[in-house]
Formats: sequence, structure tokens, C-alpha cells
Amino acid sequence: MSSSDRGPVTGAAVLRAAIVEQRRDVVVSSLLAAGQQAGSALVPVLIGVIVDVAVTSGSPSLLILWIGVLAANFVVLSYSYRFSVRAAERAAEHAEHDLRLRLTHRVLHPGGGAGGGRLSGELVNISTSDAKRVGTANVVVPFGVAAIIAVLVSAVVLLTISVPLGLLVLLGTPPLLLLTHYASKPLERRSEAEQERAAHASGVAADLVAGLRVLKGLGAERTAVQRYRHTSQQSLVATLRTARAYAAQGGVVETSSGVFIAIVALVGGLLAADGAISVGQLVSTVGLALFLQIPLSTTGWTTIEFAQARASAARIAAVLSAPPAVPAGAGVAPEPVRGALRLRGVTQGLLHDVDLDVAPGELLGVVSPSPAIARALLACLAREVDPEQGTVELDDVPLAALDPAAVRAAVLVATHDAVLFAGTLLENVTAAGAEGAADITAALVAAAADEVADSLPDGVDSTIGEQGSSLSGGQRQRVALARALAAGRPVLVLHDPTTAVDSVTESRIAGALRRIRHGRTTVVVTTSPALLAVTDRVVLLDGDGVRCEGRHADLVESHADYRETVLT
Amino acid sequence: MSDTVDTASRLPDDRELLPVATGADTRAAVRRLLRPHRWRAVVTVAVLVAGSAVALLVAPLLGRIVDIVVSGSGSAAVVGPAVLIAVVAVVAGLLTTVGMSLLVGLGERLLARLREQFVDRALALPLEQVERAGGGDLTARVTGDVAVVGEAVRGAVPKLARAGMTIVLTLLAMGALDWRFLAVALLAVPIQIHTARWYVRNAGPVYARQRVAEGGLQQQLLDTVGGAATVRAFLLADDHVDRVRGRSLTAVDLVLRGIRLMTRFYARLNLAEFVGLAAVLVTGFLLVGNGSVTAGTATAAALYFHSLFGPISSALVTIDEALSAGASLARIVGVAELPTPNEPEKRALPVDGSVKVVDVHHAYRANRPVLHGVDLDIGAAERVALVGASGAGKTTLAKLIAGVHRPSGGSISLGGVGIDELGPELARQTVVLVTQEVHVFAGTLADDLRLARPDATEAQLREALAIVDALEWADALPDGLATTVGEGAHSLSVTQAQQLALARLALADPPVAILDEATAEAGSAGARVLEAAATRALAGRTGLMVAHRMTQAATADRVVVLDAGRVVEIGRHDELVASGGRYAALWEAWSATRT
Repeated sequence: MSSSDRGPVTGAAVLRAAIVEQRRDVVVSSLLAAGQQAGSALVPVLIGVIVDVAVTSGSPSLLILWIGVLAANFVVLSYSYRFSVRAAERAAEHAEHDLRLRLTHRVLHPGGGAGGGRLSGELVNISTSDAKRVGTANVVVPFGVAAIIAVLVSAVVLLTISVPLGLLVLLGTPPLLLLTHYASKPLERRSEAEQERAAHASGVAADLVAGLRVLKGLGAERTAVQRYRHTSQQSLVATLRTARAYAAQGGVVETSSGVFIAIVALVGGLLAADGAISVGQLVSTVGLALFLQIPLSTTGWTTIEFAQARASAARIAAVLSAPPAVPAGAGVAPEPVRGALRLRGVTQGLLHDVDLDVAPGELLGVVSPSPAIARALLACLAREVDPEQGTVELDDVPLAALDPAAVRAAVLVATHDAVLFAGTLLENVTAAGAEGAADITAALVAAAADEVADSLPDGVDSTIGEQGSSLSGGQRQRVALARALAAGRPVLVLHDPTTAVDSVTESRIAGALRRIRHGRTTVVVTTSPALLAVTDRVVLLDGDGVRCEGRHADLVESHADYRETVLT
Repeated sequence: MSDTVDTASRLPDDRELLPVATGADTRAAVRRLLRPHRWRAVVTVAVLVAGSAVALLVAPLLGRIVDIVVSGSGSAAVVGPAVLIAVVAVVAGLLTTVGMSLLVGLGERLLARLREQFVDRALALPLEQVERAGGGDLTARVTGDVAVVGEAVRGAVPKLARAGMTIVLTLLAMGALDWRFLAVALLAVPIQIHTARWYVRNAGPVYARQRVAEGGLQQQLLDTVGGAATVRAFLLADDHVDRVRGRSLTAVDLVLRGIRLMTRFYARLNLAEFVGLAAVLVTGFLLVGNGSVTAGTATAAALYFHSLFGPISSALVTIDEALSAGASLARIVGVAELPTPNEPEKRALPVDGSVKVVDVHHAYRANRPVLHGVDLDIGAAERVALVGASGAGKTTLAKLIAGVHRPSGGSISLGGVGIDELGPELARQTVVLVTQEVHVFAGTLADDLRLARPDATEAQLREALAIVDALEWADALPDGLATTVGEGAHSLSVTQAQQLALARLALADPPVAILDEATAEAGSAGARVLEAAATRALAGRTGLMVAHRMTQAATADRVVVLDAGRVVEIGRHDELVASGGRYAALWEAWSATRT
């Protein structure tokens, strides 16, 4: 399932696979759709035959016979349609679903790198809209096949009636459709611009809604509404222009097909007047000339839909084949993990030439005046990236030699911006695996998240909304900390875990943190004195590596830079 | 409009969606939108009817050719009707062009008006209501639903209008050929009506559930993809793939259920087509047999009926689209028709930047009070720090004073005037709230800042940026202040985004400013940069700061300690420290680690 292991994927391959993997439904649907089209083509023919019966023989038994044939034809076309559409839509939906899951797998793959600078909204769009477009190919294929068959059936019937009339219809229809296509060319370009405008208007609206709280705080609703009205009116002007062009195109199509019917009627009428064809055959010809436009324009629709599916498939392929940020290593993770970290000459971004050893079971504080340095260190420890230079080792095994998932099973890096997920408070805390009720309670208490639970209507079973939206900043932070503690990893790296927590609670958390992590390696990246005070040792990192190290209290005394970073 | 809340829109997980308009309210809203354009509407209908009527002349003209052939009156006579068919095509084409252009133009104008009204009301919604509904609800309406209605205005509505006219006029034309043709053609109608009603009855609920399922899927994907880094760190990938799979399968299942309904619907329509066509053909056979109509007339009747297949299918196919567009429209109207907030008739002007809070109570949910009778007096240009444990009600109090929420009880006045007497408009000018939430609006940096003050000059923008120490990096952006920032463009760091929020505050220049944890999200290092920026942005105004870092409290004029929704201590920093109360404990815990 994990596509990122298969190497690069092309858009064509994605599209092909989406169809081939659903081939049973696609083939069945195509055959049935062809039956339906053939049946539809026969309806005008049968009308002609029955008119002939009325004019020439007037025989009631012949009439009953042909009405029976008409009925049989309707049964065939109706059932063909029914099961053809079901099979096609099933194939489309299943292909869409499979693509969505492959994309989710890729985005969540431990190796990372799928984002590639894309916003999460864009990735969501790729797994919904683009996946749907590719899936729709499974509807397009049967309909395209059926349209071709309908054209062939009509051609055979027309040529059987009269070769010159048949040729007129068969050779006249494609130029007619080309004309339509030509008329719609500038329209397609314009429609793209229109879609962009419309998308812009809806983008502006969504952006304003997303920033609703900020607008409210600022009292800028009125200004925002005026700004939106301007965008909306601009979009309206563009849309109106396109609407007129569309209407004109519709008019051209209607006129040209009407004129074409007039020509067919004229030629057919002349042939019939000369006795070369019967009245019924004239009626069938006119009926078929009208009918033929449907399958022929379906083929046009098919090409457009296919082009869109290809473009969507290319976007999907770009995500699926994005190279992972870190390659999977073949090394074996230490078992059990003692929790010794060793950094040698680690350079990554602003992090420069860092040598650092963390002993098993140590509680280490890391202070950095620069958020960028802290983030680079966290990324290396989580193996979100491999450092540009130098190595990070866990129990003497280089992290780069391990699978990133194996690294994270041993080392949990809980960043400041970690999000909570939709679900209950308890589900969030236990998501990363807690061993038992006692551990969960211990984690909740240590992070002071039990107080958060007490303030909610259903305690730990309260739902906390998407991204913990129903909690305040401080409450979110404590639940996230409880989750990190409950995971019980041998090595835990915490990043600014208490910035939104009041100082009494913070010092309680600091003490509890020391107890709950006793014997297991813990690194706290922070400038909070309350947390640093409980550590065994603190290192100060700046752009030149480790500036100084020692106990918090000693460093506050002895090191002016440290004092300034931590205490002001 | 208070009875427009659709109770069916309650979600299983206790979210309460925003109001959805009833059918009657939706229709009334459309009529109101249509009123200013009624003459355009009348002309539109007239042109479309004329176009459809002219197009119907094709079938009798074809019938005329059949008659000429049958009567053997010579091939030259065929030319006349054939030329007329061509003329009809040209005239009908012209009328269609004009009519469709008018119709879509009308729809687009209504839609533009509606979406503007929607955004207007959406931005006026109380935040509690938006939060109760879940963040996705409003966004889904403003993007998804507006798009669905837009597509209907461009596709389904004109299609339906044309098909409807063609059907009615065709039936009339059949009646004109011979009333008996019309009579037997109508045999199909009961089947069609029954089918349509069956479909609407069954498909409506399925589509409604389908939309909910698709919304759920979208929300899950946002949650999972947006939190991908967290998912990876905590090894939650399997769980999240399962969540997405579950939501996706539910959506797929409902889509396929809808398809099964739709295909059964068409099967029944095929039956109607056959019954009607066979009846018309048999009637033609009999009438030609007894000489009451010509073969040409019978042909025209049969062709008429056959030509109805397309419009009827297309009309009924658009029932689908019309149903979902109707549902979307009801969701838009539900918000767009919410009453506008009342501006008080006579407005008093605040005299200064003082804030007075008297016996304020508040509860977001009944029986879960957050504030119990808070009293607070803040003098003009005074700087007060609000301190207390998480959940003590600090944010709630801040939002109440900022006028974001209305208190459940008690009163709040700004500059000596009650917030209600100020009215929303003036209250907004008096007080600005900067929250911990950062949002950089899509557009240029200058546009983002001008939200706070639309008429600000470039120099004023630069000055505001300088106050919050952001001018340096703003100038370093690729296009300076003209750089497009926000979603999908140049992304700013959390600290930069917060500096921007403070710059907006400086630009808005209100007498009262409230800062709520505005420094927390930036992490401990960024916090110091922001604290300095906040101090400068607050200069000269009344400031209420929700403080987590005790340095903020220590430098304030006064400190207010909130505990479990009550004010427990008020005073100067050193007084409170000396008094040995709750604040002293907080200060003790904070400073213990610093010595």
C-alpha cells in the first residue's frame, strides 16, 4: 500500500492504475452502456418503421409486432443503462477511495517530505477533488466506448437506408461538431479565468471566515465586508462576460444543428419524392441525424474530462512520488533502549557544530536564545531531517541508520505546535499508547490536565473539537503534555511545554515531570526557569554550538548571557 | 426568522450547526432578491418562451415534407419547408442566445448579492455560535455551498427553465396537431409524476446524509493532514489512516446509494417514455387509417414526443442538482437572512478610555458559569494585568470587555457608556482585542494592516510597523509592504504574525486595548520580542493584559487576580506581593526559580 516505497509515480501511471484496478466494473459498464446507446439509436429507426406500416400496409398485426419490438428495445436500453451506470460509479468511487488512502498513507509516511511546501488545504484538495476527477475517468471510459458504438450502429443503419444520405449525415456531423468545438475554444480560456476569479472570491471569503476571531477582536468586520463586496463585484463582472459568451456558443450550436437538419430533410425529401427511399426511411434518417449529435458530443466531453483527469492524476503523482525527507535506514534499533543520546559535530540550519551527550535517565535542559536553533535541534532529534553535517546517535546507533518510525518509537519529540485531534480528551491522551490506567492518571496529573478535565462537562470523556478548538491555549498545552507523558517513550524531548500555563501550575508540572520521567532520558527545550530548575543539567546553545553547561542555579549565578536569556 | 432553525441539523457529537432556512423562507429570500430585477426577469422569460416556441416549428415542417412525399406532388415542393427549417434554426438560435444570456446574468446578480449578504452576516455572527457549530460549518457554506449554488445558476437553472418551456410548448403543439395525440401523450404523465415524487422523497434524505458524510470526511482530512507532523511524531499514522478510511467508506457508501436510487428513477422514466411513445404511434396508426390525419401529422406527433425524451430527462436529471442546490441555498440563506445587529438609536460617545465592569456573570453553557459577579474599574490610560490559573475566566472576561460576547448578567461600560448603548459600531472603535490566535489575511501586507484602518497612508503603515519592531523584516520581504502574505503566499513566523496583530492595534488606535496571551504562542524566546512590542503598542491607551509571564504583571500599574471566575485580589504588584495572598504565591513560584 505504501506507494512511496515504489519509487517515482507518473500521472499517466496513476490514471492507468485507477482504471485497471477497477477493470471488471469498467468493462461490464462499457458493454452495457454500448447496449443502451444502440437501443437509443434504434428508437427513431423504429418510429420510422411504424410510420411506414401505417402509411403502406395498415396491418394491425404488423403494428403489434413492431410495438412489441419497440417494447423489447426499451427493456434492453433501460436495464443496460441501469447496471452500466452502477458499475461505472462503483468503479469511480472505489478508485477515488483507494487514491485517497494512498495519499493519506504518503502524507503520514514516517519519512515525511510529502508536503513539499504545499499548504494542508491544498493537500486536502488533492485527496478530495483531484481523487474524484481521476475516479471519474471510470465513468468517462464506458460512456466514451458506448458513444463510439452508437456512432457505428447509426452509420450502419444510415448506409443501409441510402448510401448518399448516409454519407451526408456521417460526413456532415463531424464538421458540425468541430465548428461547435471551435466556437467553444476561446470560451475554455475565458472559463479558466472565470473559475480563477470565482475561486478568488470564495478564497477571500474563506480567509475572512478563518480569521473571524481576529476580525472581531479588531472590530474590522465592516472593512472586511466592504473588501469582500469589491472582490465579489469584480468576480460578477467576469462571470457575466463569460455567461454571454456561453449563451452565444449555445446559440451557434442550436443554429448550426438546425440548419444541418434542414439540409438532411431537403436531401432526404428529394430522394423520397423520387421514390429512392420510403417515407419511413426518411423519418428514420432525420431521427438518426438528431440522435447522432448526442454520442458525437459525448466524445468531445470525454476528451475534456480525460484531460482534467490527467491533470489531477499528475498532481496526485507529484505527492505520491515526492522523495521522503529522510531515507529509511536498515539498522536495528537498540532493544531495550537505554536512552543515551550523542550528538557529534551536528550542523543543521542555524544549529552549528554541536557536540552533546545526554546520559541515560538524565533530565537535561536546553536553552537557546533563537527559536530557529531550537527547531533545528528538535528536527534532528525526531529525525524529521538528517543533519547537514555530523551525527546523532541513540545508544551508539546513528539515527540515520534507522527507520524514522523506529526512531520515533524510542524518541518522542513533542513540539510546541503539536496539535490535538478531534475526539475526547482521553482519546487524545492515550492515542500514542499508554500502558495502563495508572499511567494515564499519572500523566494527566503530572501535566495538570486532570484540572482541565474537571472543568469540562464530561470530564476526560469530553470532546475537545477539531485541533482542541474548544480549549483555551493553556488547557490545550496541558492536554498535549499529558499525551506526551502518557506515551511513555524511553526518550522524551519537550519543547516549550508550559508557555501558556500560569506560574503556580508550571512549577507543579516541573516537579511532577521530574518524578514521572525518573530513570528515563528527558530533554526539555525551554527558557522557563521553573522547568530548568528541576533539570540535572542545562546547556546553552547558540549559533556557535554549546556555549556553556552546568546546573541551572550555578549558571544563573555565573553566566551573564545565560541569566539574560532565561530571566528577562 | 427565529423558527428557521432546522433541528435535523444537530450532529451526533453535540455540535449545533448554524441555522438552515426552511423551504418557505428560502423562497421568500429569493423573491426579495429578485424584486429589484423583476422587469429583467419578465423580459427573460418572454424571450425564452419565444425561442422555444419558434424551435417547435421544426417538427411540423418535417411532417409537411413527409406529406409532400406521400402525396407525390413533386420534389420541388420539398424545398420550401426545408428552407423554412433553416430559417427557424437561425431565429431560434438568436432568441436562445439572448434569453440564456439574460437568464444567467440574472442568476449571477442574485448570487453575488446573496453571497455578499452572507459574508456580511457571517462576520457579524457571535463567536459562541460559530464555535458551537464547528469551524468547518461556516467555511463549508461560504466555499462549498456558494459554489454549488453558483453551478446551479450557470447550469441547472437555465437547463431546467429551457426544458420546462420546451416540454409545455411541445405538448401544446401536439394538441394543436390533433387533441387525441395530446390526450394519449399525457398517459406518460402519471408515471412521471409518481416517479419524480418517489425520487424526491427518497433521494432528499440520502443527499442530506451524503453531504454530512462528505463534510465529515473533509474535516477528518483537514485534521489528519494539518496535524501530519504530530501524527508522525506520535506514530499515529495507522489510527489516522483508519479514521480517513472509515469516513471515506461512509461517504462512498452513501454516494453509491444515491446512484442506485437515480438509476431506478431513470428505469421508471424509460417506462413512461415507452408508454407515451407507443400510445402516440398507435393513435397515429388509427388516425391515419380512418383518414382523420395525414401521415405527416402522425410523423410530426411521433417526432414531437420523441423529442421530449431529452428535455424531460434533462429536467428530471437537474432535480438532482436542484435538490442539492436547494439544500445549499437554504444553508446560505439560513445565515444570510439572520437579523442584522441593532445599532442603538441615539448613541452616546465614550468620554475617555476608562472601563467599568459591574457584577458581570457569564456562562457559555447553561449551568456551567465561568464568571461569578466580577467587578472591575480601570482608569483611562491605566495598564492592568489580569492574572490567574488556566480556566479562571481571564479570556472570557477579556472577550466580554471587548464586546465579542455579551455577558449573561451584569454591565460593562467603556468611557462611561454602557456597551449596549455604544452599539457594535462604536464599541469596535473604542476597544480592540488581540488574541493568542494569529491569522494573517491573504493579500498584501499593506492590505492586511489596512483592515485596521482602511485609509491609512503608507507612512502610517510604516510607523505602525516600526512601533512593533517589525519594519526591518517587513522591508526585507521580496516586495516590501506590497508582498503577498498569508495562506498560499509568503508565510510569516508566529512571532511576525503576532507583531502584525500588534501593528494593526497601533493603527486602529483605540482608547482601550486588550491583549490576551498574545505572546504565548510564539514560544519563550519570541515572547520577549513581543512583550516589548506590546508595551510600545499600548502606550497612551488603557490596557488590559491577560498575563502568563509574571514580568508582564510586575510592570503593570495594577494587577487583578482572578480565581474560578471571581476577582480575589486587586492592587499594585508590590502591595500584593507584600500582602501574602494568592498573587504572592504566584510570584513566589515564579521568582523562586530565578534566584
